[in-house]
Amino acid sequence: MAQAIVNDEVEVGARVAGGLAPVLRKGMNEWLFLIPALVFFIGYQVWPIIRVLWMSFTNFQLLSDKPTQWVGFDNYVQALHDPLMWASLGRAALFTLMFLPGTIILPLLLAILVDRVGNQRLATVYRVILLIPAVIPSTLIFVLWKWMYNYQSGPINHLLVNTFGLFTVQNAPQWLGGTSLTLPAIAIMEVWWGLGYHTIFFIAGLAAISKDLPDAARIDGASEWQVFWHITRPQLAPIMMILVVLRFGSAMAVIDEYLIFGGFNRASPTYTWTIFMYDQAFKTGLWRQGYGASIGMIGAVAMMFVMAGLIWIFRPKG
Amino acid sequence: MTLEADHAEINALREEPGSSIGTSALRHVVINFFNLIILLPLAWVLIMSVKSLPDAMRGNFWPRRFDFTHYGFVFQHIATLPVNLFNSIYVTTATVLITTACAVLAGYALVHIKPLGSGLVVTALLISLYFPVRVVSIISIYETQHWLGLINNTSGLILPYITLQLAISILIMRSMFQLVPHEMFESARIDGAGHWRALWEIGLPMVRNGLVVIFIVNFVAAWGEYLLCLTLVDDEAKRTMPVVLAAAQGGQGQWAWPNLAAVYVIVVTPGIIAFTLAQRLFFKGLMEGALKG
Repeated sequence: MAQAIVNDEVEVGARVAGGLAPVLRKGMNEWLFLIPALVFFIGYQVWPIIRVLWMSFTNFQLLSDKPTQWVGFDNYVQALHDPLMWASLGRAALFTLMFLPGTIILPLLLAILVDRVGNQRLATVYRVILLIPAVIPSTLIFVLWKWMYNYQSGPINHLLVNTFGLFTVQNAPQWLGGTSLTLPAIAIMEVWWGLGYHTIFFIAGLAAISKDLPDAARIDGASEWQVFWHITRPQLAPIMMILVVLRFGSAMAVIDEYLIFGGFNRASPTYTWTIFMYDQAFKTGLWRQGYGASIGMIGAVAMMFVMAGLIWIFRPKG
Repeated sequence: MTLEADHAEINALREEPGSSIGTSALRHVVINFFNLIILLPLAWVLIMSVKSLPDAMRGNFWPRRFDFTHYGFVFQHIATLPVNLFNSIYVTTATVLITTACAVLAGYALVHIKPLGSGLVVTALLISLYFPVRVVSIISIYETQHWLGLINNTSGLILPYITLQLAISILIMRSMFQLVPHEMFESARIDGAGHWRALWEIGLPMVRNGLVVIFIVNFVAAWGEYLLCLTLVDDEAKRTMPVVLAAAQGGQGQWAWPNLAAVYVIVVTPGIIAFTLAQRLFFKGLMEGALKG
């Protein structure tokens, strides 16, 4: 202990003697490689969050000339008393419920099938096809499905009306534009989009599992379902946890899709907390960004709580 | 049953578990059913882009008459199209290059230099993956860009675009560099090479597959970005291609369906071709460590 203090003093003495510069320079040299990344990360990820947190306690309006005032929790109180806040959170949760099961279960099933394809060349072809939607940028996915769902000339309604005759031109389903079908329509699109990518995720997980155990179980007469439930599923649990948590996060915070498919009608099921925030911050009055910031923070914190809960539920047991 | 027979049976099961030809065929049918669902919408756009106008109105999948002139038409008659396309290429290229450089340097530093505070950096990066940063930060990013005089400025988009996938890119590079033994860099540096040369000559070739992954991840993010471009850029001529496409009301005039589809195919194809060519490296990269990140 005493020795350590002496050592410290010697070191401090040496530092003072040699000046602070060499120490600083050593530190700078070590950090040099991290600096470019950190400049962007802090400037456009860390700082904005801190700044938005600060804004949420003020009456900040971007286009207003009046000085910004600190208003404490006023924005939060107002938001939490606004039925629209709760409705918008509920809508985001509803969408998540529509989207999450399909985007986990279908890829899992598909991964188990593709994993057993013995022919290497065919397996490669399958993997490439599966990943094609994942390399199509988000907005282009939305544009594509905006046409698919088009009321008059979209191929989906064409199939339903002309090919199957389930509907007529008058009562064909109105998928987009904030009808009750809009959220399921977006959920279907999102499942389609993530199908291949998540399948690849699970295939990578399956590749890491030894094939001996399932094989031995089959020889002992276990059914495919038993093999899946007792051997494959527990081993895939960590991957499943990551996917569930990440997809929950992305589903709750969807915004581009709602902007493109829904608009700013407050009664629309696509008017979720993200749109509520955007509406207040960039559309309403003199851009009420203080209030918008508090809405964003409420949504984000609510999400984080559920995510922490999910991580706890899926925690490794035993 | 002899030991060899046992082995033969296990091997047979390993080839096509579930054994019989019937279940194997069923498996391929199910997989291809999903493949079809994935490919059909894309095939629909591709065919739409070469349909004659009357066929486009009719809505049948297969046209009676093909018309390949839409591709030329959109470049001649949609005034902002070449500009928008150029904006997309410019912003995306800059974003991919800068993000990759940042991620490689940071990934190397976090594994092989380990300055004080590295742990904190990794924790912050991980948290940023779970927090809805992209949505919430838009309010403040507008203010920052306003302050920098970068509102309605195409180049200004590059700054926030770099951070779209920066955290995940750094984490991917970090797990790639963890696969490279420390000693390789140590010995290079004993031989007199600095961190720069050690990274450039020894590190980069070893993390090649990871580079392919972050190239693609960042390309996809920047090429298709919507929210920031919509919010920060007002002029149609200064916007990127996807934002203009998303706003286009299909069916009328210059945006008749086949024209729209032609633009769509032009915008989507480069990414798909690049991915198909690089897919072997991409999958290797994924398996090597990207998925762990």
